[in-house]
Amino acid sequence: MQVTETNSEGLKREFTIVLSAQDIDEKVDTRLAELAKTARIPGFRPGKVPASLMKKRYGQAVMGEVLEQALQDSSQQAMTERDITPALQPKVEVTSFEPGQDLEYKIEIEVMPDIEPMDFSKLSLETVEIEVPDAEVEETLGRLASQQKKTEPLSEARPSQSGDVVVIDFKGSVDGETKPGMEGEDHHLELGSNQFIAGFEDQLVGLDKGAETTVTVTFPQEYVNDELAGREAKFEVTVKDILASVPTALDDEMAKAYGAESLEDLKEKIRDSLDQQYQQMTRSRTKRSLLDKLAENHDFPVPSGMVELEFEQIWKQVEADREKGELDPDDQGKDEETLKREYRDIAERRVRLGLLLSEVGKRNEIDVSQDDLNRALIAEAQKYPGQEREVIDFFQKNPQALANLRAPLFEDKVVDFILDLADVAVRKVSPDELKRELDAEAESGAAGEGEGEAKPKKKATAKKEAPAKKAAGESGAEAGGGEGA
Amino acid sequence: MSRARPRKKLDLQLSQERKYELIRRPVVTEKTTLGGEHGQVTFQVPLDASKPEIKAAVEDLFKVKVKAVNTTIQKGKVKRFRGRLGQRSDFKKAYVTLEEGHSIDVTTGI
Repeated sequence: MQVTETNSEGLKREFTIVLSAQDIDEKVDTRLAELAKTARIPGFRPGKVPASLMKKRYGQAVMGEVLEQALQDSSQQAMTERDITPALQPKVEVTSFEPGQDLEYKIEIEVMPDIEPMDFSKLSLETVEIEVPDAEVEETLGRLASQQKKTEPLSEARPSQSGDVVVIDFKGSVDGETKPGMEGEDHHLELGSNQFIAGFEDQLVGLDKGAETTVTVTFPQEYVNDELAGREAKFEVTVKDILASVPTALDDEMAKAYGAESLEDLKEKIRDSLDQQYQQMTRSRTKRSLLDKLAENHDFPVPSGMVELEFEQIWKQVEADREKGELDPDDQGKDEETLKREYRDIAERRVRLGLLLSEVGKRNEIDVSQDDLNRALIAEAQKYPGQEREVIDFFQKNPQALANLRAPLFEDKVVDFILDLADVAVRKVSPDELKRELDAEAESGAAGEGEGEAKPKKKATAKKEAPAKKAAGESGAEAGGGEGA
Repeated sequence: MSRARPRKKLDLQLSQERKYELIRRPVVTEKTTLGGEHGQVTFQVPLDASKPEIKAAVEDLFKVKVKAVNTTIQKGKVKRFRGRLGQRSDFKKAYVTLEEGHSIDVTTGI
């Protein structure tokens, strides 16, 4: 085997490898001899087939097999000899091969860059901590209370008005024909709640208790029942009672209806959930600023093949969006060239960060444990209530999907790890201030020229998959292995 | 000795068709490959084929010189199929020995 390096620039390496015909023939012969032991050919007992006949029968097939093997082995060897970790599947191109002659082929490899993570303790970041304001808790509480309306009989008789709950018997007909489901007795209907067909409730306003009336409505065109859609219906309605709705008092009683022990407890719960929401918001913001910093501080070369793959994926998404007419407003009015250039920059950034994060993870032996994975799995399953079993089954049967689940976990862990090392300043702000800041950021990003164009927004949405995918590729085998264990 | 009596030269006139009919197929088995080492090739031939006919056909079709032809009729076996007795057809094999320096590659076909 002869290996010559024909090209080496940046991360690209190109080798020409020559395998002598003799080597190949030898391999073919040994393989044939192996096969001959079991081959069944009429007229011969197994193992008694002459070599010449074997060659004639199976020579071609075995040759192909041997060549493939030889290509793989030799390129593998060439890479280990030179201590190269390929970033992607190497490209192999056979330049010349004739039976009985030397095999010559070219491989193109992109080398994994040497990644030297920066000293994370020199990173200074700012995170925001948000105190949930009491006003917001009260507001949520009020909303909860309004969902739980109580009614009581009118203290003095008056005509019904919007907001009241009327108790009605109704009987409907279309062209004099009654249809199933068009009648009801003692139905509690809140006027103005739009539970019934549009117009129905309006016609019940201003009636006294005990009144009888005929309501005429037209079913909307898109009504679920085809038979009724678009047709006019008459309903004979008797108003049996009118109930006024009473605002619910904020007390322990109401809190209990929501599964809390007392009003205080409910408040606490609301505060917690709001807090969690804000934490997620600030965390993603901190993460983004961290990634921005990392991108600024690292500029190792990135394998262009990987960038190309990533770019194609983004581009496909962009094209699909464009087809649907949902192009990012920032991108409208830009020509193809500019767009492509911008997205290519984003792709490169993503690949670089992905590589960096996975490298940091590898160096510091950050690993996603089975426990973490299980937790994520359960969280994922809970998104589909009623189908938890199926979701878990799906993940257990698809190591690929599981790897996708694992990737963000890995990314999060690495980010946590870096945040631990970095110099993080905490600043307290109110939710409103945060919102204003976020808006301002988006604004300035959109307004900025050239490099900064429209990036923060896109990054925010797109960032997630990039390292994820990388990690998925790397841990794919691991995930598969973990499965069996 | 009667043996010394000069033989009448056989006047064989074989049509091209007959030649192709004569050589039905090579017999490729362990036994015949052994013969292959001594310049012997084996063919299946019609039951009514005669040695001189076979010699002429082989010489003409494969452009080789034939030293000798030995033939044998292999009787078909009696086989039972669905309880009925059946008879496989007989066939004739011709072991053709070639002159030194000649060869036929039986595995490639004509």
